[in-house]
Amino acid sequence: MSYRKISVTLAVASAILASTAAAALARDVTVKVWSGGTGPTANYRIDAIKMAADLYQQEAAIRGEDIKITVEGQAWSGWDDFKQAVTLAGESNTAPNIIVSGHEDIGSWSKSGLLRPIEDYVDFDAWPLNQIYPNLIAVSSFDGKIWGIPQDAEARPFFFSKTHLRQIGYSDADIEALPAKVESGEYTLYSMLDDVKKMQDGGFVEKGKGFLPRPVNGTDYWQFYTSFGGEMVDEESGKLLLDTAALTGMYQFFVDAVDKGVVPATHLGSTWDSWHQAVAGDQVGAWHAGTWQKAEWETKWGLKDFFGQMQYSLIPAGNAEGHANTLTHPLVYLLSKAGSDEDAALSAELITIASEPRINALHAVKSGHLAIGEAEAAIPFYANDRWTATATEGLLPHAKPIPNDPNFGVVWKAMFKGLEASWTKTSSVADAVKAVETEVKTSLGDAIIIR
Amino acid sequence: MPFQRYLLGLGFLSPALLVLAGLFLMPVALTGIIAFTNMSISTGVSGGAHVITGNLLTGLRDDGVEPAALDRLAETVFEVTPEALARARAAGVDPAFVADIEERLVGRRFTDGRAFERELKGLPHRPRAIRDLKVAADLFGASILNTRFADAAAARQAVVGVLPDAPEATVDRIVAASYTGWQWTTGNFARLLSSPDTLRLIVNTVFYVAATLSFTVFVGLFLAIGTFYLPPATAGVFSVLWLLPRLTPVVLYAVMWKWFTWEGGFVYTAAEALGLPAFNYMKGSVPTAWTIVILVNGFIGASFSMILFSSALKAIPIQQLWASEVDGASRWQQVRYIVLPQLRWPILFVVSYQTLSLLSSYQEIWLTTNGGPGRTTSVWALESFNTALNNYTGDLQYGLGAAMAVMLVVVGVTLSVIYLRLFRFDDLVGRPKIEF
Repeated sequence: MSYRKISVTLAVASAILASTAAAALARDVTVKVWSGGTGPTANYRIDAIKMAADLYQQEAAIRGEDIKITVEGQAWSGWDDFKQAVTLAGESNTAPNIIVSGHEDIGSWSKSGLLRPIEDYVDFDAWPLNQIYPNLIAVSSFDGKIWGIPQDAEARPFFFSKTHLRQIGYSDADIEALPAKVESGEYTLYSMLDDVKKMQDGGFVEKGKGFLPRPVNGTDYWQFYTSFGGEMVDEESGKLLLDTAALTGMYQFFVDAVDKGVVPATHLGSTWDSWHQAVAGDQVGAWHAGTWQKAEWETKWGLKDFFGQMQYSLIPAGNAEGHANTLTHPLVYLLSKAGSDEDAALSAELITIASEPRINALHAVKSGHLAIGEAEAAIPFYANDRWTATATEGLLPHAKPIPNDPNFGVVWKAMFKGLEASWTKTSSVADAVKAVETEVKTSLGDAIIIR
Repeated sequence: MPFQRYLLGLGFLSPALLVLAGLFLMPVALTGIIAFTNMSISTGVSGGAHVITGNLLTGLRDDGVEPAALDRLAETVFEVTPEALARARAAGVDPAFVADIEERLVGRRFTDGRAFERELKGLPHRPRAIRDLKVAADLFGASILNTRFADAAAARQAVVGVLPDAPEATVDRIVAASYTGWQWTTGNFARLLSSPDTLRLIVNTVFYVAATLSFTVFVGLFLAIGTFYLPPATAGVFSVLWLLPRLTPVVLYAVMWKWFTWEGGFVYTAAEALGLPAFNYMKGSVPTAWTIVILVNGFIGASFSMILFSSALKAIPIQQLWASEVDGASRWQQVRYIVLPQLRWPILFVVSYQTLSLLSSYQEIWLTTNGGPGRTTSVWALESFNTALNNYTGDLQYGLGAAMAVMLVVVGVTLSVIYLRLFRFDDLVGRPKIEF
């Protein structure tokens, strides 16, 4: 073989070897994202991770790293089936890499070993995580560790129909002054019941539609417990707390609403569709909802003039012991135990990129949620949106989260069971409260303080 | 040859035995086991680990464990010692980075992990990936706080490492309390006995089973006897129509009921046109919700009983009916004195089979009223499913849900024995008194 032939053969062999080596170095990763409580307007919970993957690949290419990331997203509109799916997938080692869920799941999921603490994978001192509101980081933490990165924030205000308020004699100035009266405690939940009764009696609102609360279980109902002075956690010991007086006040309020005929005894368990239709169609006197539901009313239920049609405020106080309040229920990006440590590090990096203010603002503005950080709140796209900006200023400072305690689910379930029993008059308020007390005491023993 | 006969019999039965073992006995046995545990979403199913956390230490302090020992366990310490540097090198941390640490931080001690990480981030050869930096930082740590130990031995070793002088009882107590997995308990049954919900659920379940069963038997009988007297072609059309509830997939069947009863549906529109109260009949009132639940399940049961009764009717010798007609018997007298006595066994079978079936069925209720309004139409089986596997708060209590299911199995088996004795099934399967 001539020298020339040997050279050509060697060159071809090297080229083939080089190409296979390059192929061998290329990393092909699939990142699975599952998101709960995610309707059509909240698509960016998953799409933000896809955008992050795209950015990451471009950065990697510049660094000379060859990586192909496929993001497989799955969204659940509800919570029951989502939480069941995540839990069972976790038990069978098929959990997704990234879970988007309510922060209250951190307690039980971290205890059962389903999650990796995200603080072991990301840098909270660096951009963009260093601009996230500290209270949201606190909400994403449990037992000394940061387990998640806030995906969004929200508040759950009280709404009034401006049309129906005017019909019972409110002037425009009175309507404008209403939120301040609610905040000061001058206007209470019982003032609201009187007003919506007037709306019904005057024939402006159909009977049973004066006050239309959320038709199914939700964190919202803890707001009414707070309105009657209830606290969910004992500040001193950090233990869960059940305030039976506040619970009695809350249950009695809904029973009184039923007795006044402003809400049906069978309201709980009715359908979301009829609720949306009624509130967006201005058929209701007062109701409570999440800030994000404005987007749903506009996109799906034909609401044209939100600010012209609806007034919003904090949830009014129920009695002298309680205070006006609202609740925030941030969703968080969680890192599951699934996959290798390297996969988890990549997933964490994608979550970090997805938390970039501009990317997160897409979700906030489109879905009516609130900013997760200072820099995001300053982005004109967000700051110039009237609803997100006013809700951030007027509601978020008053918003409190529910606790991350792994036993909180037991208390929540018992609280709602008692609410259903008293609301439908299956049992008296006193019996319902007693049943909740018995249930949480039997289940949790000393882990809860009953006051 | 009796042995061979038994073997042949067993051979023929083996597929059924396998199905019975796999689909009934094993799930029942597993449910029975889980019922005696506190297994929940927090404990996990596959077994726990041992983790010492801040909250655990607070709890132990409240329980009287020596505070000084707990303070030492709570300590987070990162020390840059020659041993730690050697550990980092052995673990494959970038030598340049280790050299930076040695040069700038040797001898330093940090009680805050985040402060130590911040120091590392300032070093010239810090890794690009934050995960690599944190893994390197962990090699300098001496804390056991928030570390997940796979078993008790590892946890004990770690605790003893921090508290070498602690009494064994204290160490035992800490290790036991740090377990995150499930434990054996009879507490689920105690909870069910003490819960005020139990009685309400029992009353609901008894009402649901009794009402649906009555509908199933009476409508099934009416249909079978009615079609028996109709011309065969017409009877065939009616039979097929009444089979639809059983043939339709359950989800589609539930959706059709929603179209039928919800706002804007047929019942709503008809009620509106007639000037009657128009509302969501499935969820809007307790009596209508119960009616819908009973009808939804009753129609499925009625088509099942209709088939059984119809085939039993065909077995009645036609000569008996002819003879009765010759004697001048009316239709009602034929039904009362000839048909019903000969349908005794099928009726008893439908009653016993449907009782057990309804006791354990929940899917139709789940897909329609979902136990509402409130929990007024919730039954034991649905509550068991919701407790163990499906609820809004995500508080899945596998142990308690399994205990509820076990109680259902116990009730079902007891009722089966009672039915077998009461209805003398031995006679049914006994040798005929007249051999042909």
